[in-house]
Amino acid sequence: MNYTSKVIYMKKLIIVLFLLNLNISFAFKSDSTSTNSDSLHFKFEPDSLVLNVGDSAVVKISIFNRDEPSNNPFYVYGLDRGSLKTTPRMSGGEHSVNVKINAVKSGDLTLNVRSITVNRPDRKYDKIKITVPFPEIDRIEMNVPKTLFSGTTLILKPKVIDKAGILREDIVVKLKTNNKKIATIDDFGNLHLFKDGNLAITATADDIQSKLKLKILKNPINNIELSSSKKLVKTGDVVNFNVKAFDSNKKLIDNVPISFSYNGRIHFSRTPEIPYGKDFAKVNVLGDEYRFDAVDYGLPASAEISQDGKFVAETPGVYTIYATTGGVSSYTSINVLPRNIQSDLELVGIGLVPDYFTSDLWVWPGIGEHEGKDFAVTGTWSGDGHAYFWDVTDPSNIICIDTVKVDARTVNDVKISSDGKIGVITREGASNRKNGFVILDVVDPFNVKIHYEYDDDMTGGVHNAFIYENHVYSVNNGRKFDIINIDDPKNPKRVGVYELNTAGHHIHDVWVIDGIAYSSNWLDGVHAIDIGGPNLGEIDNSSINNHPLLSLSGKGSPSNPIPIASLSDPSKRNHAAFPFLSKSTGKFFIIGGDEKFPAGNIGAPNIEPSHPSGGFHFINFDDPSNPVEEAIYQVPEAGTHNFWIQGDTLIAAYYQAGLRILDISGELMGDLYKQGREIASFYSGHIDGKVAWSPMAWGAMPYKDLIFFSDMNSGLYAVKYKSEDDDEDK
Amino acid sequence: MKINKWILICLLVQSIIFSKNYFIYATAESEDQVALLRFDGSNIHLEENIAVGVNPVEIEGPHGINISPNGDYWFLSMAHGVGSPNGILYKYSTENNKLVGQVELGFFPATLEVSKSTGLLYIVNFNLHGGHDEISSVSIVDPDLMVEIERVQTGVMPHGSRLLNNGLKHYSVAMMSGELFELDAVEMVITRKLKTSSMNKSHHSMMHHNHSEHIMDKSRPTWVYPSPDDKLLYVVNSGTNEVLEIDIKSWSIKRKFSTSIGPYNCEISKDGKFLAVTYKPDGFTGIWDVKKGVELAKIKNSRKVAHGVVISPDSKFAFVTSEGIGGEPGSVDVIDLINKKLIDQVDIGKQAGGIVFWKMED
Repeated sequence: MNYTSKVIYMKKLIIVLFLLNLNISFAFKSDSTSTNSDSLHFKFEPDSLVLNVGDSAVVKISIFNRDEPSNNPFYVYGLDRGSLKTTPRMSGGEHSVNVKINAVKSGDLTLNVRSITVNRPDRKYDKIKITVPFPEIDRIEMNVPKTLFSGTTLILKPKVIDKAGILREDIVVKLKTNNKKIATIDDFGNLHLFKDGNLAITATADDIQSKLKLKILKNPINNIELSSSKKLVKTGDVVNFNVKAFDSNKKLIDNVPISFSYNGRIHFSRTPEIPYGKDFAKVNVLGDEYRFDAVDYGLPASAEISQDGKFVAETPGVYTIYATTGGVSSYTSINVLPRNIQSDLELVGIGLVPDYFTSDLWVWPGIGEHEGKDFAVTGTWSGDGHAYFWDVTDPSNIICIDTVKVDARTVNDVKISSDGKIGVITREGASNRKNGFVILDVVDPFNVKIHYEYDDDMTGGVHNAFIYENHVYSVNNGRKFDIINIDDPKNPKRVGVYELNTAGHHIHDVWVIDGIAYSSNWLDGVHAIDIGGPNLGEIDNSSINNHPLLSLSGKGSPSNPIPIASLSDPSKRNHAAFPFLSKSTGKFFIIGGDEKFPAGNIGAPNIEPSHPSGGFHFINFDDPSNPVEEAIYQVPEAGTHNFWIQGDTLIAAYYQAGLRILDISGELMGDLYKQGREIASFYSGHIDGKVAWSPMAWGAMPYKDLIFFSDMNSGLYAVKYKSEDDDEDK
Repeated sequence: MKINKWILICLLVQSIIFSKNYFIYATAESEDQVALLRFDGSNIHLEENIAVGVNPVEIEGPHGINISPNGDYWFLSMAHGVGSPNGILYKYSTENNKLVGQVELGFFPATLEVSKSTGLLYIVNFNLHGGHDEISSVSIVDPDLMVEIERVQTGVMPHGSRLLNNGLKHYSVAMMSGELFELDAVEMVITRKLKTSSMNKSHHSMMHHNHSEHIMDKSRPTWVYPSPDDKLLYVVNSGTNEVLEIDIKSWSIKRKFSTSIGPYNCEISKDGKFLAVTYKPDGFTGIWDVKKGVELAKIKNSRKVAHGVVISPDSKFAFVTSEGIGGEPGSVDVIDLINKKLIDQVDIGKQAGGIVFWKMED
């Protein structure tokens, strides 16, 4: 043993003896208080540090018992984790240790110490501040038109870039103008331009200044013409207001910013201009007469107007829209009537599942000897591995015709192939932990057989799956989706895998339409992946109605999935995704659905009523490289789950809000719920449900003239729109 | 007759006065519940079912559980979060079973223990949800602050892990790479490793790992447990149906106990006499005489799929979790180690798994 080894050995011996001594003390003193518990303290030299990323320094840390040096071991660590590298981590039984610190990341960090003692109250903590400054600011960018006009307002959004090229959102930028008579900047970054002249704006961040010289021109606008093609619309209709601005020579000027605003008054049944009460109000505000149902409660007039002149009203009423620039205004009024699209749904039949929680569903037409019949399958959640098969040919008499039980606790998802031959049910909680999914022969739904139990490398469980053109897209372990060829369902083969490469990625679901897989990925949001979309090249876009994603497809395949578009979700709630090519506008959206349960990790939600929240986000992907969220549908105080798009309607399983159907025709903007776009709702529930009289809609699927949906607490439902004849019959 | 009556009364009084209550926590992985159980010497009772996790419609998977050395807290590993693949370590008070802290760790954190010496918590990141070929790690957590202060790389799918009774060394076994790792609890570095497959070959190299080194090892070690005197380790090889007795000092395999199929967890009684081993696939628990290396009894559990086992500090009873299959409730079985028989069981949530002994009370 050389000298160094001897020293190390002795140090370790000291630590071991020290700790063993503590252990012995602990064993004999159940509530012992260490003799030095109140007197241990640390000394740092220096007592703070400023380091740049990549730099290192040495901090001498000493431990004392009162004023005497102590050999009580302690350990050293930096916070935030991974920001500081410290060597050594342990005091090694020494009274003083020189700890080398390497700065790995920027921030206000701490170098921490903690004494090692058996008794928790005896442990002493201390820390010093280690400041690792962010890289110096390199520049401030202000993207402002060089030419501006008096009488307008502009929002300044300065960007701070540091020398590492990183956009620094933590830096406060101070803005000021050099001439308050020409312009001022308020606390919200609004640049108010009062008069023409030369203006300089100074942006200051730390010790970096950026100056912008602007020429403010005299606003030439002398007259504004404001118009819309419609004077009478309904709530939820997006109206595009056209504005033309002219100078004194009646010349059209198109580069002067125009701001839009509105005011409005609601069609309230007790307002003077509605003389006939709430049932048939007669309004004569614009020289025309309209008859409609006025609201019978005094809502405030509520609408939204964008700064490019798009207007949508949430409540019926008369709205006056203003276009303004340079002290010149124009206004016009528009009459907004209630959307009045509400309809009633009536229960046709129910397949009651009293013993287990029900999960997802699928409905399909029978084939072969069962042609002409209709069938459904539902899964079970946290149960006994069952999937239920139903004859729904007579939806008023839904009959369970077969069950399949697999080794699982949860059969979260169920899918049937488009040819009606193959079923897939997913497995979680298998006793052998292999999980995976099970491929079924459903040609005879009265006698469903298992083709194959696929569990290769799927130990974390398969939560969702989709069948598309003889391939199963299987969400594997919450990390990726695997693509399994089932040409021979008894001999499936993995042919592809798709996994994001972002930190902490976590996939929840995948859905395939027209050769594009739409995945939902919590924080990473919605993704569109080409797994075999048509290759149309540069021509013949008309056949796909200018579908922007199909225009990009044609290079991917199941064995070579290629990402084509995405938008992340900073709220981390993205749970479902469904494409929507609007029949009425031709716009293409991916609708992202939230799942959000009460946060806080209190550990109690399972024994208290669940109150999920969340909504659907309409993300416009017309420009796939620049997706924009344009509208939201959120039922207050309820939570979204799975959904389906049929034509220009959204059919939503809305957990505790039951089944919801939404009109998504026309241009979409703002809060669709408040605009009265909801067509119908149906609250599921049954006295003999797993949870009695408690709606918890899980999944929905339109089928023929019905809508089927599964409810977690009671089973399978078939509903339909109530016809006027039904009312007359009654 | 009178004397007999008095004897009976005395026995009754004695049994009342001197009877003990044993308290145990057990997890139900497919129910997101933790059960607090009390065994009164004859019968086991479900005292409380504690709901754990965040999302009522996602099973997050409570797996490993352990108690702080002072008995004030229990720590629970949860397989994954909601919207995050990373698992969570939760800290609960034993006083009221309320959550008091949490920290996000790696993929599927599993077995854990707090060192009596360092006061730090050591927990393996099992990574069951990974590709089964990725090197994983042991996370070291300050359980007071619930801050992860270090992550030490070990092998592929580290599962069983325990500290020596003195708290100075931490041992973990990597299931897919077939390795036993010794981690210096104080220095926070791996000091030795040993292949657990039948060749008695030790590796002292601390070379950097790579995937190619870790072809799936047939031994598949799932558990490691130290002897009461901290001289030996017992490593359960689930793949080769054996328990290895490892001499810590010489870092070599001393004995091998051939077991029934699928040994999974084990524990040594505090008196050093008994080794209890769960046999997962068939739902049995083996009781071994440690000194002689022979199986004294093989006891059928109340459910299929045996999982965890703990032994009461008085070395009288073993408590075994039985997972069950599908919708079957999980179970905690009580085995009388003296008479070698199952004396009671209680149902808990589905897939009973992690189990820990909390306390004994008169």
